Parts: sequence; structure tokens; C-alpha cells
Amino acid sequence: MTKPDRMIEIINLNKWFGPFHVLKDINLTVRDGEKFVICGPSGSGKSTLIRCINQLELHQEGSIVVDGIEVEAKGRNQRDIRSRVGMVFQSFNLFPHLTVLENCTLTPLLGQQMPKVEAEEIAMIHLTRVGIAEQAQKYPLQLSGGQQQRVAIARALCVKPKIMLFDEPTSALDPEMIKEVLDVMVELAEAGMTMICVTHEMGFARQVADQVIFMDQGEIVETNTPEAFFTKPAYDRSADFLSHIL
Amino acid sequence: MTSDLQTFVPRPDRPPPADSAGVAAWIRKNLFSDIPNALMTLLGAYIAFTVLSAVLNWALFNAVWSADTRRECLDAVGRAGACWPGVAIWFENLIYGLYPKDQVWRINVGFLALILWMVPLWIPRVTSKIGIGLSAVMLYPFLASYFFLGGDKGVVWTGLIALGLTGFVIVWATALTETLQAKTAGAWLIDALGRANAEEKMQTRIRLLAVLAIFLLACLAVWSVSFTEVRTRFWGGLFLTLVISGIGITFSLPAGIMLALGRRSNMPVIASLSTIFIELFRSVPLITILFMFNTMLPLFMPAGTEVNQLLRAIVAVCLFASAYMAEIIRGGLQAIPNGQYEAAHSLGLTYWQTTSQVVLPQALKIMIPAIVGNFIGLFKDTTLVSIIGLFDLMNMARAIGEDTNWLGLFIEPFFVVSLIYFVFCFAMSSYSIGLEKKLATGRDTG
Ligand SMILES: Nc1ncnc2c1ncn2[C@@H]1O[C@H](COP(=O)(O)OP(=O)(O)OP(=O)(O)O)[C@@H](O)[C@H]1O
Ligand SMILES: [Mg+2]
Repeated sequence: MTKPDRMIEIINLNKWFGPFHVLKDINLTVRDGEKFVICGPSGSGKSTLIRCINQLELHQEGSIVVDGIEVEAKGRNQRDIRSRVGMVFQSFNLFPHLTVLENCTLTPLLGQQMPKVEAEEIAMIHLTRVGIAEQAQKYPLQLSGGQQQRVAIARALCVKPKIMLFDEPTSALDPEMIKEVLDVMVELAEAGMTMICVTHEMGFARQVADQVIFMDQGEIVETNTPEAFFTKPAYDRSADFLSHIL
Repeated sequence: MTSDLQTFVPRPDRPPPADSAGVAAWIRKNLFSDIPNALMTLLGAYIAFTVLSAVLNWALFNAVWSADTRRECLDAVGRAGACWPGVAIWFENLIYGLYPKDQVWRINVGFLALILWMVPLWIPRVTSKIGIGLSAVMLYPFLASYFFLGGDKGVVWTGLIALGLTGFVIVWATALTETLQAKTAGAWLIDALGRANAEEKMQTRIRLLAVLAIFLLACLAVWSVSFTEVRTRFWGGLFLTLVISGIGITFSLPAGIMLALGRRSNMPVIASLSTIFIELFRSVPLITILFMFNTMLPLFMPAGTEVNQLLRAIVAVCLFASAYMAEIIRGGLQAIPNGQYEAAHSLGLTYWQTTSQVVLPQALKIMIPAIVGNFIGLFKDTTLVSIIGLFDLMNMARAIGEDTNWLGLFIEPFFVVSLIYFVFCFAMSSYSIGLEKKLATGRDTG
């Protein structure tokens, strides 16, 4: 089907919410190890696009292939897809009734039937990586927002995904905490993870992104290197958007 | 430029202001802070005193403690004091109904077994609490049913009873090894046999063999005892009330969960069936359902099959309680934010894994007060079975006043029955408050 180095291949993707055409003819190819940053005004369909990739939303037309597996429009092969794709949400969505460690081991234990000792070892490796190892026995709501988001990243990594999706991971955070989360993401990017981040952190985009995608009204308006995108955007719409957020 | 900056030095912490402690200070502050407060305090104290002294006078100081008929009581004190001998003579019936006196020990042992089964739940070092709780719900009924019913037991029933006994033995074995050695009975056995390093398969086989051995011993034990049959029409009093409400409570929680999940399901057939069931049973009074099941169920059954009257009442209570429980649980499910489902799905958890590990634990925790409230309501609602002629606690109390020796003796038995109900309901609600406090992690301590 696809060449092996293509992690995500989206061809002519279309999606509607009722009569509302939210994604229009999206085409996108992400190779192994590439980092994409998606930006664009509110309501442009950024979240919907990345949610289609791990089937939190089902698309109606076109095809999405993740790591060689076709994402079915009917949503039947969810587990194959989701074990390859990790997702981090704006609102963390940690499980408040489980400790930080239990949050991280839940899927390995249940879904992948890993022995407990091994699952906890892996979880501690990732928690150490995001700098939360000392808080492993605490409950999520005893942590700060930045710490919670880092736990959420560790939790997603415990499933050993090949691709990480981030949906505005820092926009619910106080400015002081944004950096600690971005640092973790930069570290992850440098370690070679394939990443798609919806974010308006342009510093982050400049630092790690291979490509910046600008979306408006359900379409990909512009795909460009960060250097080019920030210095001389190709479209008036992108320039206008940049002038508002920079 | 940096040299211009002043250094920020945080102030040292101070201890909080000392409370103006002391009993007198507390009373002054809370009961007599100003004139209206003082008046209310005095009025409250006066009302409490009047009611309490009236009740105590009637129930204790003016009461008659020995008499053979109600007439004697009335001749002695009239209506100024309670006439307790009637209640005392009937007391055993209030508790056990018309259960044969020489067999009553079976009820006691049956309930003792339940209490013993649950005791490990209160031992802090026991970790397999969920398993123990589940086994109590699934296996104890088999054990209890034979203690209470007795009579002929075929091969199947013997097996089931033995299963109950096996569960009991394993629960206590696990409770002991977990308290003393901090490992489950299975792990303890494998260590004791020196097989801790054996393959997983081998270990499972050892465990299964051990369970099988206990089961066979239990079969032998069950086979060797036999109890005379006590038909359910002799069941009554507190015993019957506990049986009906106990079954109703244990059935309604899982059934309510399934119905609530069904109602929220994406599958239209399941969703509409659940909704119809819930709305049907919630829009008809329990008493009507009891009547329907009592009189109409036999009409629908094939000729010749007889459904025991107690069973009919229990089925009615179970279905009714499940419908109510389903709506309570659904409320809890609705309180779980969508993000929780999305996070679980994006991690690759299946529907059932998400439901059992992420959604239900949170939903049930929120709903504990409402669930226990529903249990308490159900416990009290079982008094309605007296309408179809079952002699539960309430109906038994009424029977006392119809005994020729104690004709008209109603207030005293009802007083006692109220106390019994109060003790049970108060215990349940205290337990729920305790449970809530214990489970208050995360959300509240954050
Ligand atoms: N479940 C849904 N049902 C109907 N409409 C939806 C749904 N989810 C999103 N939409 C609509 O689709 C459009 C795109 O939403 P989306 O969340 O993808 O935007 P976004 O680019 O992520 O915006 P934001 O920056 O505000 O997060 C919006 O107009 C939104 O109102
Ligand atoms: Mg969004």
C-alpha cells in the first residue's frame, strides 16, 4: 500500500457534522519521525482533523492510512489504530480516581495484558522522562496543571505509540507551566517521535516542526517550513492570522 | 540594572489564631450568641424534654413488665404505660416469623455466615476486597438458601451449595494469608509448595487443583448433612424482611448498572428495551407491581407450574428496585465528562474496559449517597409485601394485636418495629457516610 516510511497518509479526506462541512479535501503525508504543527483560527477544524486520525471522529469520505493500516470509516479497527497513536488533550483527561502510576499502567495491564511489574517499570521510565517520578503515588488532582499534562504525555507513551497527537496541550495552562510541558515535547521530538501538534506556540513550531500547516474553514490553506511560514507566508489569510498571534 | 532590584523575602509562617476553646465558650458562642438564638435554644430544649419524658414515662417508668393478657396491663396502669409482656412473648416471631423453633439456629448460622463473609472487608490489610465482595454476592446465596430452606437437595443443588461453602473457605483463607503474609491464599500455597519460580501455567494448575480439592471436600460436607425442609410460608418477621430486601438490594445494583448502560447504549434495540423497562416499572407503584405479580403471574405460567408466593414478591421487588437503581446510576454516568471516555478510547481501551475501569468507579463513587438512600428506601418498602399476605416484620407486629390474649396491642409492637427499622437504616446511612469519606480521593483533596 504505502511506502514503509509513511506514518500517516491522508487522501481527500472529507467530513461533515450533520450538514456542516467541517473538513474539505484534506491531503497530508507525514513520514516516520516528522513533526507537523497545525495552526489556524478557532473552528477551522484542527481538532477534528487529528481526532479523525485516531478515530475519535469518524470520517465519511477519503482515506486515512496510519502505519500501513487503513482507518476504517466505520470504526471497526479502532484498537489497531489506537495502539499506534497516542493522544494528548487540552484538558489532560487524566483518570481522577487512579493514581498517577495507575493512570499509566491501566492500558498496558488491561489492553496489552502486560505483567504488573513490567508495566510499572515502563510507567516509571516514562514518568521519570517527564519529570514526575516522585509524584507517582499521588492522585492527578493533587498535581499542578503542568504536571498533569506531563503525566498525560507519559500515559500516552506507555502504550508505545508510533505517532503522538497533541491537541492544544498548553492552552489550558498558566504561562509559568507552559514551558515545562513544551520542554517535554521538545525532548520527545528530539528522540525521533512522529508528532502532529495543534498548537499556537510558535516558538515551539520554529524549534521542532518540519512543516507548519495552516488551516482555515476546514481546508489546509498552506503547508510550509516554519522558516518560510513565519517570514513570508504564501497566503494573505496566513499572514493575517500570524499578525494576530505573533 | 539587576543591582536595582530588591530581593523578595517571604514572610515567615505564623500559627493560626488559637481557638477560644472550652465548653463554656462553645456553648456561649453556638447556643446563646444573641437573644433569638438563646430563645430558640430554650424552646428546643423544652420540646426535647417534653417529648423525651413522655416517651420514657410510657416506655419505661409506667410500663408493665409481667402480665398474661392485655387486660391485666390495662387494669394495672391503663394506657399510661406500655404493656411489654405481649411483645416479649411474640418477640421470637417478630424476628423469625413462624419458623420452627428447633430450627431457628439455622437462620442464625446463615446470617452469621454472611457477617463472617463480610468481616474481611473491614480488615485494612486485606487487599482482595472486590473479589470478596463479589463472592459474597454470587456465592453466599447458595449457602444461605440451603440453610434457610433445607429439604431434599439433588446433585446440582448440592454442587451449588458446595460452591458457596468453597467460596467461604477461600475468602477466609485469603483474608488470613493477606493479613499475616500480605499475599493471596493462592500465592501463599505456591510459595509453601516451593513453586514460586514455576511457569505461570503450572501455577494456575496448582491453584485450580487446590480449589477443586476444597470443592470436593465441601461437596462431601454438604452431602453428609441434611436439614428438614421449612416451607417459605413459615418464613416471617425480620428474617423475611432481610431476605426480601437483601435479595432486592444485591440484585438491583448490578441489574441497575446494566439497565443504565443499556439505556445509554448506541444500539437502538438495547437502548429502547432498557428505556421501556425502566419507564414501565418506574411509573407504577410497587404495591401495584406486587399485586400484579401475585395474581397475574400464575395466569401466564404454564398450567401446573406453581411459583412460590415469596418468589413472586421477590421478583417484583427486584424488578422495581432495578428500574430505580438504573436511573440513579444513569445520573452518575452523566456526570462523567466526555473527556474521560475520549482519553480511555484514545488509549485503546475497549467499551467494557472503559466502563468497568474508568467510568463506573467514578460514577458509583459520586452516587454512593443516592444508592444507599435507594437501599434504605427499598428496605422500608418491603413492608408492602404484607399486602399480599406475607408476614414480614410489619405484618408480624400487626398479628400481635390480633392475638386473643393481646387484642388491640398495636402501639407497643409498632414501637419495637420502628426501633428495629431505625437501627438498620441508621447503620446503612452511617456506613455510607463513612464510605464516602474513605473514598474521597483526588477530587476533594486536590
Ligand atoms: N461533535 C460536533 N458536532 C457538531 N459540530 C462540531 C462538533 N465538533 C466540532 N464541531 C464544529 O466543527 C468545527 C471545527 O471544530 P474543531 O474543534 O475541529 O475546531 P478547532 O480548529 O479545533 O478550533 P479550536 O481552536 O477552537 O479548538 C467548529 O465549527 C465546531 O463548532
Ligand atoms: Mg480544537
